Amino acid sequence: MQLVINTRGSFLKKQNNCFFVKVDDKTFEVSEKKVDSILITTSATITTDAIKFAVENNIDIVFLDNFGDPFGRVWHSKLGSTTYIRRRQLEISDEPEGFRLAKGWIEQKIDSQILFLKDLKKNRPDQKDELDDYISGMEDMKSQLEALEGKLDEMRGKIMGLEGMASRHYFEALSFLLPDRWKFNGRSRNPAKDGFNCLLNYGYGVLYSKVEKACIIAGLDPYVGFNHTDDYNKKSFVFDLIEMYRIHIDRTVFNLFSKKQVSDNFFDEIPNGMTLNKEGKAVLIQAVNETFDKEISYRGRNIKIGNTIQFDCHRIANNLIGK
Amino acid sequence: MLVWVIYDITENRVRQKVSDRCKSYGLYRVQKSVFLGDLNTNDRDSLGLECEELIDIERDSVYIFPMDEQSFKKVQLLGQAFDKELVSDEVITKFF
Repeated sequence: MQLVINTRGSFLKKQNNCFFVKVDDKTFEVSEKKVDSILITTSATITTDAIKFAVENNIDIVFLDNFGDPFGRVWHSKLGSTTYIRRRQLEISDEPEGFRLAKGWIEQKIDSQILFLKDLKKNRPDQKDELDDYISGMEDMKSQLEALEGKLDEMRGKIMGLEGMASRHYFEALSFLLPDRWKFNGRSRNPAKDGFNCLLNYGYGVLYSKVEKACIIAGLDPYVGFNHTDDYNKKSFVFDLIEMYRIHIDRTVFNLFSKKQVSDNFFDEIPNGMTLNKEGKAVLIQAVNETFDKEISYRGRNIKIGNTIQFDCHRIANNLIGK
Repeated sequence: MLVWVIYDITENRVRQKVSDRCKSYGLYRVQKSVFLGDLNTNDRDSLGLECEELIDIERDSVYIFPMDEQSFKKVQLLGQAFDKELVSDEVITKFF
């Protein structure tokens, strides 16, 4: 299970071989064997014993800020695997093979966006025509993307451009399907200007930390990006890979809205936008974890959505070193 | 598989050790000397061995009962009941 510390002033320590959480008068004790990650979304106290205990048991502790962006994590200071993987990652980033790999991730992203819109179309016969327009626009971008050839250096701008255009269609379609109260005007971040973006950003933040963890475990360097260029402290490779998994957050958030599970008191107003409050975070994190716990068919077997990230990372790493 | 651990132990210190051991294996306390939780076969065996080392086999007793899912569904809970979802690992997110 994932422990989520979401109440101001909570206290986490190690007791015997368990995590011990105390909130006001309530206490909870749970064995390290049952915990796979700890998410801290608010001000809390943790003992160094608990941190050491978590690190020793491969449980990552992630700290999220108000917008859901992980601002820090506690994780062992090891590489995860051999440096050879990282060396190959650097080499391949400007070979045609790297270009194919990077292009493939974006294609997969657009594919799953289109699939989602098609799924939504099934139950919405009245909005079929509009949705078809959006979908055909996106299919056009996808075929342009598939036709691209060359090296990443020259094509990076084109890939990102097509991806951006496809995304714009996609979010316009989603907004079009939402009830009037929740319609939004494009993506907004830091801070979000509307409820939909608010949930989306927070969900992406949680996802981002999962992808980073999977990279490290597989021995991939989170900072060596293909589509995303090098920059100071920019986790470019995480940004590259996350594109394939955003769809799970999109579906989760959209479902929350379409099942009318989102209410106004999930959000706090801040200057220029809004943030998710304690109640909103609880509903979203719960829904996201339920999504990741669902099984899907993945290369001929059924595995949990949350585990596909790790499988993909291992596969990428193995391909890099020719295994 | 779900496992019930039930014990009767005379000495306080030993009882404490057995209950700590149960907790660290991921079992939940459902009554004063009753633990319940999901364990794999390896953990179940090693918990048994460890408890055997701790107790005085002349006086104390520890029972380790595995239970299949079918039977667990038929369990009746009366009065102050434990959290059925928690002990069967169906809780995937725990908030504080």
